[in-house]
Amino acid sequence: MSAFGIASNSNPNKSTEVVSPPSDSVSSLSFSPKANYLVATSWDNQVRCWEITKSGTTVGSVGKASIAHDQPVLCSAWKDDGTTVFSGGCDKQVKMWPLLSGGQPVTVAMHDAPVKEVAWIPEMNLLVSGSWDKTLRYWDLRQANPVHTQQLPERCYALTVRHPLMVVGTADRNLIVFNLQNPQTEFKRITSPLKYQTRCVAAFPDQQGFLVGSIEGRVGVHHLDDQQQSKNFTFKCHREGNDIYSVNSLNFHPVHHTFATAGSDGAFNFWDKDSKQRLKAMSRCNQPIPCSSFNNDGSIYAYAVCYDWSKGAENHNPATAKTCIYLHLPQESEVKGKPRIGTSGRK
Amino acid sequence: MGKKKKRVSSDVWCYYCDREFDDEKILVQHQKAKHFKCHVCHKKLSTAGGMAIHVLQVHKETVSKVPNAKDGRESTDIEIYGMQGIPPDVLAAHYGEEDDNPSKVGKLEVPSSQVGIIPGYPPSTMPSIYNPGLAVPRAGWPAPPRPPQPWFPQHPVGSVPPTAPLGMVPQPLFPVQTMRPPTAPPGLPTSFPVASPVSQPLFPVVSTNGMPSQTSPYSAPTSIPLPSPSDLITTDPHNINMPRAYLTPGFQGGVTASHSYASGPNTGGPSIGPPPVIANKAPAIQPATNEVYLVWDDEAMSMEERRMSLPKYQVHDETSQMSSIDAAIDRRISEGRLAGRMAF
Repeated sequence: MSAFGIASNSNPNKSTEVVSPPSDSVSSLSFSPKANYLVATSWDNQVRCWEITKSGTTVGSVGKASIAHDQPVLCSAWKDDGTTVFSGGCDKQVKMWPLLSGGQPVTVAMHDAPVKEVAWIPEMNLLVSGSWDKTLRYWDLRQANPVHTQQLPERCYALTVRHPLMVVGTADRNLIVFNLQNPQTEFKRITSPLKYQTRCVAAFPDQQGFLVGSIEGRVGVHHLDDQQQSKNFTFKCHREGNDIYSVNSLNFHPVHHTFATAGSDGAFNFWDKDSKQRLKAMSRCNQPIPCSSFNNDGSIYAYAVCYDWSKGAENHNPATAKTCIYLHLPQESEVKGKPRIGTSGRK
Repeated sequence: MGKKKKRVSSDVWCYYCDREFDDEKILVQHQKAKHFKCHVCHKKLSTAGGMAIHVLQVHKETVSKVPNAKDGRESTDIEIYGMQGIPPDVLAAHYGEEDDNPSKVGKLEVPSSQVGIIPGYPPSTMPSIYNPGLAVPRAGWPAPPRPPQPWFPQHPVGSVPPTAPLGMVPQPLFPVQTMRPPTAPPGLPTSFPVASPVSQPLFPVVSTNGMPSQTSPYSAPTSIPLPSPSDLITTDPHNINMPRAYLTPGFQGGVTASHSYASGPNTGGPSIGPPPVIANKAPAIQPATNEVYLVWDDEAMSMEERRMSLPKYQVHDETSQMSSIDAAIDRRISEGRLAGRMAF
C-alpha cells in the first residue's frame, strides 16, 4: 500500500459488494433491527433497500425497493419492529416508508433546513429529527406538528439514542445530553472533549456514556456520571503520515459492545474501549468511508466506500467517482473484547 | 512508563482565554485560530487589531470584541502576540491565581503514582459499576455523591423489570395539551403517544438480549493472540492525568502540545464560498517537519453542508433552502458564486 494518499484498491479487505449501488455517494446506512435488510440513503436523492442473504461465510444482496426524495437524502432510521424506514434530507423533511407492507412513503416531519439526523424512539413511540435549523423535533407520526421542538445551540450534526439516553452533537462542538424521561430539559450540555468539529456520536450500550468522533482523527470516550470522569479518554485514529482524516462513523457491536470506527482515510477499525485496545485494523480503501452499520446480531458490518467531500469540490470528479457498499463479516476475534495483556503501561 | 512530563504551572498562557500552553509558538497558533480569525472568511490574522482592520476593510464590518475571549478581555485595542503585550496587572493577577491551583489539583482522585500502571483506570475501592460485561447485579447506585444529578444506575442484567420503581409517579414527557392531537380523528386509536409515557418506568429496562450473557471478556481463553503494542489505544496523557481538564474550558492541554496543526496553504487566505480549498496537498511539497494537516479543516461547516451548496444538489428553491443556514454561510456561498469560483 502506498504510504502517501489513499490505497488504490477499492476493496482491499475482500468484502462482498452490494449489488446495484447508488449512483452518488452514500450518506447513511441502516440495518433493520429485525432482519437482514439494509437501507442506504444517498446524494442521488434515493433511499434503497436490499435484502442481505447470509449462509455460513458467504453473503449476498438482492435489491428490493427504493423511494426518492426531491433532494439529497442525509439520514435514515428503522422503526423497532422492522416494518418501516424513516429518511430525512435536504428537502427538509422526513419520509416514513412502510416498505414491508409495500406502502407508499408519506412525509411525517418537516424542518426549516435539511434534516441531518433521524431516530425512532420505541420507548416513547416517537420519532426525533435533528436539523441544521438548530432544532430537534419530536413527532408522533399522525400530527402535522411536532409534539415538541427542542432548541439547539447550533446546527445538529450528530445524534444517538439509547433510551433514556440521547446525545446530540452540534456545530461549534456542543454536545447536549438528554434524559428522555424528561426530554424538555437538557440533562447536561458540555463542550466536546475533542477540539475539533463533531462528526459522529454513539451512546454506550449500557447508557453510561458515549463516544464522540471528530474531523481531527480522534475519538473521545466520555462517561456521564461525575464519579466516572476519570475514566474518560480520547485516542487518535484514521491518520496517515501528516494527514489527519475525519472519523465519520461510530458503531457499537450489538452483542460484544466493542465498536467500529470508519474514516475519510478509507479505513475501518474495531476497538474495545474497556481494555483500550484496537482489536483489528482493516486495510484502507481507495476512497473515504462516510458511513457504516452493524446488522442486528453483529455478524455483518456494512460500509460505504465513496467520496465524502472531505477534500472539497475540486477533488471530486463525478465522472470517475464510484460508490460502493461493502459487507464485511467480522470474525469473533475482531469484535470480541479481550483483556489487556501486559499492563505495563504505555511504551 | 507513565508520563514523563511533569506539569509545572505553565508560564505560557493565552491572554484572551487563560488557556495554558507548553510553547509560545503553539500559543500564537492558538490565538490566530481562536481569537484572530476573521469570522467572515476565516483568514487568520496575527493580532486582534489586525483582524478588526481586515474585517473592516475587506468585509465592511466592524469587530469590537475578540471572539472567544473572557469577559473584560475582549478589547481589540490591546495588541497581544503570544505572551507579548499582556497588561502588567493581568499578568500579575494570573500568577496570583496560579498559586490557588494546588487545591484544584488536590481534588483529583487519581494518585499520580498509580496512573502509569493502567492509564485511566484508577484503583477502585468500590465494586466496579462500569464493566458492562459483568453479569453481577450492582448494589444500586453508590450513595449519590454530590448535588449534581447522577446518571441512571445501570440495571443488573436479568433483573426483574422494575415496576414503578421507587414509587415514583410516572410523569408525562410532554405537556398534556400537546400529547393528544386535539383534532384526533375518531377512528384512530387514542393510545398512541399517551400510552407510552404513562407506562414508562422511571428507569429503563435494559433488555437482556442486548447484553452478552455471562460472556465476560475477561475470562478469556488462553488462545487469544497477544495484542501487538500498536494495537493498544494510545490515550492522551493529559486526558488521563487530568480527567476533569476539559470541564474547565480554560485548560486544554493535549494535542496541540505534541505537534502543530497547520492549515493548508490555501486556507490561510480568504477562502470564500465553495469550492472549499482543503488542506490535502501532496506530502512531497511539505517541508520535513511534523506539521500535520486536517484533511477537512473547516470548523464552521460540515462536509455535508458544503456539499449541499453545490448547484448540482440544489433543486429549484435554492433561495429558501439557503435562508435557513447561517447568514455568514449564505454570504460565503453567494460571494463564491459572484466570484465565479464554483467548480464545474
